Amino acid sequence: MPDFETDSNLVQDYKYGFVTDIEQETLPKGLNEDIVRAISAKKEEPEWMCEWRLKAYRRWLKMKEPTWAYLDYPQIDYQDIHYYAAPKVQDPDAEMDPELAATFEKLGIPLNEREALAGVAMDVVFDSVSVGTTHQEMLEEQGIIFCSISEAIKKHPELVKQYLGTVVPPGDNFFAALNSAVFTDGSFCFIPKGVRCPVELSTYFRINAADTGQFERTLIICEDEAYCSYLEGCTAPSRDTNQLHAAVVEIVALNNAEVKYSTVQNWYAGDAEGKGGIYNFVTKRGHCRGVNSKISWTQVEVGAAITWKYPSCVLEGDGSSGEFYSVAFTNNKMQADTGTKMIHVGKNTTSTIVSKGISAGESANNYRGLVQVMEGATGARNHSACDSLLIGRDCSANTFPYIESDDSGAVIAHEATTSTISEEQLFYLKSRGISEEDAASMVVRGFCKDVFKQLPLEFSVEAVKLLEIKLEGSIG
Amino acid sequence: MPTLLLDPATEPAILAGFDEAVLETARQGENALLQAKRTAAFEACSLIPNPEFFHEEYRRMDPALFRFGNFKRLDTLPESAQELREGDDAYDAVISVNEKGYAILKKPDIEGFQLCSLAEAAAADPDSLEQLLGTAVVPDQQRKFFELNSAFWNVGFFIQAAKGVTLEKGILIRYELEEAGSALLPRLVLQAESMASFSIDERYTSPDGVETLCLSTHELHLEAAADVRLVSLQDWGSDGIHLGEDWSRVKRDGKVSLFNMTLGGKTSKCTTGCDVCEENANAYLGGVFFADGKQHFDQKTLQFHSAPNTYSNMLYKGAVKDHGYSVYQGIIQALKNCVGVDAYQTNNNMVLDSTARADSLPGLIIDADELACSHGATMGNLDEEQLYYLRSRGIPEGEARRMLLLGFFDEVIDRIPFEALQDRLHAVIAEKFES
Repeated sequence: MPDFETDSNLVQDYKYGFVTDIEQETLPKGLNEDIVRAISAKKEEPEWMCEWRLKAYRRWLKMKEPTWAYLDYPQIDYQDIHYYAAPKVQDPDAEMDPELAATFEKLGIPLNEREALAGVAMDVVFDSVSVGTTHQEMLEEQGIIFCSISEAIKKHPELVKQYLGTVVPPGDNFFAALNSAVFTDGSFCFIPKGVRCPVELSTYFRINAADTGQFERTLIICEDEAYCSYLEGCTAPSRDTNQLHAAVVEIVALNNAEVKYSTVQNWYAGDAEGKGGIYNFVTKRGHCRGVNSKISWTQVEVGAAITWKYPSCVLEGDGSSGEFYSVAFTNNKMQADTGTKMIHVGKNTTSTIVSKGISAGESANNYRGLVQVMEGATGARNHSACDSLLIGRDCSANTFPYIESDDSGAVIAHEATTSTISEEQLFYLKSRGISEEDAASMVVRGFCKDVFKQLPLEFSVEAVKLLEIKLEGSIG
Repeated sequence: MPTLLLDPATEPAILAGFDEAVLETARQGENALLQAKRTAAFEACSLIPNPEFFHEEYRRMDPALFRFGNFKRLDTLPESAQELREGDDAYDAVISVNEKGYAILKKPDIEGFQLCSLAEAAAADPDSLEQLLGTAVVPDQQRKFFELNSAFWNVGFFIQAAKGVTLEKGILIRYELEEAGSALLPRLVLQAESMASFSIDERYTSPDGVETLCLSTHELHLEAAADVRLVSLQDWGSDGIHLGEDWSRVKRDGKVSLFNMTLGGKTSKCTTGCDVCEENANAYLGGVFFADGKQHFDQKTLQFHSAPNTYSNMLYKGAVKDHGYSVYQGIIQALKNCVGVDAYQTNNNMVLDSTARADSLPGLIIDADELACSHGATMGNLDEEQLYYLRSRGIPEGEARRMLLLGFFDEVIDRIPFEALQDRLHAVIAEKFES
């Protein structure tokens, strides 16, 4: 049997770990009502928004941080974080700061529209503010609104008022309440009735400043018969201290609408000793309000020191369906507690869960998922498959599914397996002249295939590469 | 990592009816070993917080349903005169317990086989019994009810089979409660030495409409290549409350089979844990539960693998109808370096109508590689196509439904080593299905 010990020296460095030296404007550390008001003022928000934030903040004060997740991290000092950091704009009419533009070049995200990937409209969020959105005009012609959430609050307050907080209410959980109080930027997508969004909408999140938290808030609304595909990517510099990222994503799908949401999460995960890295506490939820609507989550989680994330679907409309495809990779001292919730309310609702967990090094990888069928959700169907792959002796993989059925017409099937890379598969590949490391990498790629094929093409290629880089040195 | 243990409370946690005064009564006239064990268990129990609705473990079963305040612990049961019944000749040994006392009605005359009350065992050989009391429990587990029973048990038995001893027909243990307000705390400790093999058939009964509480524990120690099968049938009347916590420890090449049949009673919360602690040890956990009316059952299993190359298999099958509520929660845990573990966990549920509810929470906690652990859980109703097939053969719908349900449970029931018990299970399931 090959020795699957991890040699951390071989692991390729995190290539997004650089810091951009840019003039920053930050609010002082700490959180209180004045800070919440100051964030709201910085964003030039109307009074009702500020009130909404303050209400969420007061709610948060009364809440306790959840401890049920299978995670172990030191107490977070919420008063030791900058809740707002923005690149300083000297002249509002000037072109983008060249330093900032260079950063995004380095990350492989050209903000210049001519060079941009055809077919992808992009919003870029740097620390607490959105620094640029592409393709806006072309989208506007079709009635699609794609802009940063701050802009939406100013320009489309009636839409924001109608939908914000209706899927994830401010008091939903500790991190959602915190986010509702201090969220800074994120994307707003509105696809009007009958429109199929012709391009992929995409947001790129970057944390740069030290000791800051990023609190993104994304709201996606698809009206009747509308469709959109949304992509999200994230990176952060390598720093010795832990940084907090608490996001809320809300999706609303009305009659016959379809939303596809894909994430490649590659936050800095800390070094081999577990020093530094992003704490990723995210609440993502989609609400299938209309009949035959569909929400599909695809996530590739390869970064962050701690991941606490459960993208969910509330299937309220009759005939609606939810999907969750996930690859979660943990290495070194990373910890992930991730999964999904599928809540069947309407009749003939269906959901599919495919979760692939890979743990290497000394990491811990947990799947936690809920499938709930409410009384009256006749004809509900769910199929869940959760597989875990262990690479090395010091890692762990845990699976905690919760299945609740309140209806006799529901059919739910769940299966989970935990195993290591099969010796036979390795032997077969090696006998064909493939080196051990390549063979193991092929097996892992095959293991994740069901999820990768759900990603849009460019992301799919990126995800495979990313996983290969992350795996390097873990095998052989 | 957080453990499954609840945080020790700063205040001692004592459940109604189980306080120091009652402990003193329990200790009276007992030998020194049992007294010391009761005191130690009482102290351990006081450090574990009382079950509360907000604890994860009890979120699906409110501990208020246990109604501790309504019961009084029966004083430690004396030996009483009872008679053998029809059907008892199908067993090698028969024990009968009711509120008035216990009787060992029949014992096989085999050298090396010992069956007696715990008090007798403690008087005869306190040193070896001390090694067995409370040592099958897996450390760090939430074990309030185990400690509570260890402190307050009021009838206890000890079974020991020496090397190679085999019982052909098995042991029958009857627990019968008749008076409202009785709290019975039976304790069974058994040790099977190498290659010993036997089966136990346990029945719990009470009349309908009488509120009774039973808090039982079983502790099984299996030495090398021993093979023990234990079947518990909760056949309580309409108002029985059953709490149980069982632990077994299986050594090299040993095999334990534990069957938990929860059909009667109003509330049942059972934990069945096994630790396969030496190479090639094997555990099978089988379960059947069927909740209807006001019944609320919560079954928990723990397959604990503390050695490499160990095996376990679990199959729990349940049905719910007519406002019944069932919960299954289970964990397979493989410790670090326990390679070559092969463990499986299956929970199948039939939700027969929409007023009923079933929850399933299987789980895997794996800290080793080079192993295969899996679980599967399903929820559904009787298969329409199978029904159609049976009806096309001229079988009336009601009959066809019953056949399918019995067939569903037979996967577990077929493995039970007692024919009489299989018949009883079929009868109870059919009756519940038709009611």
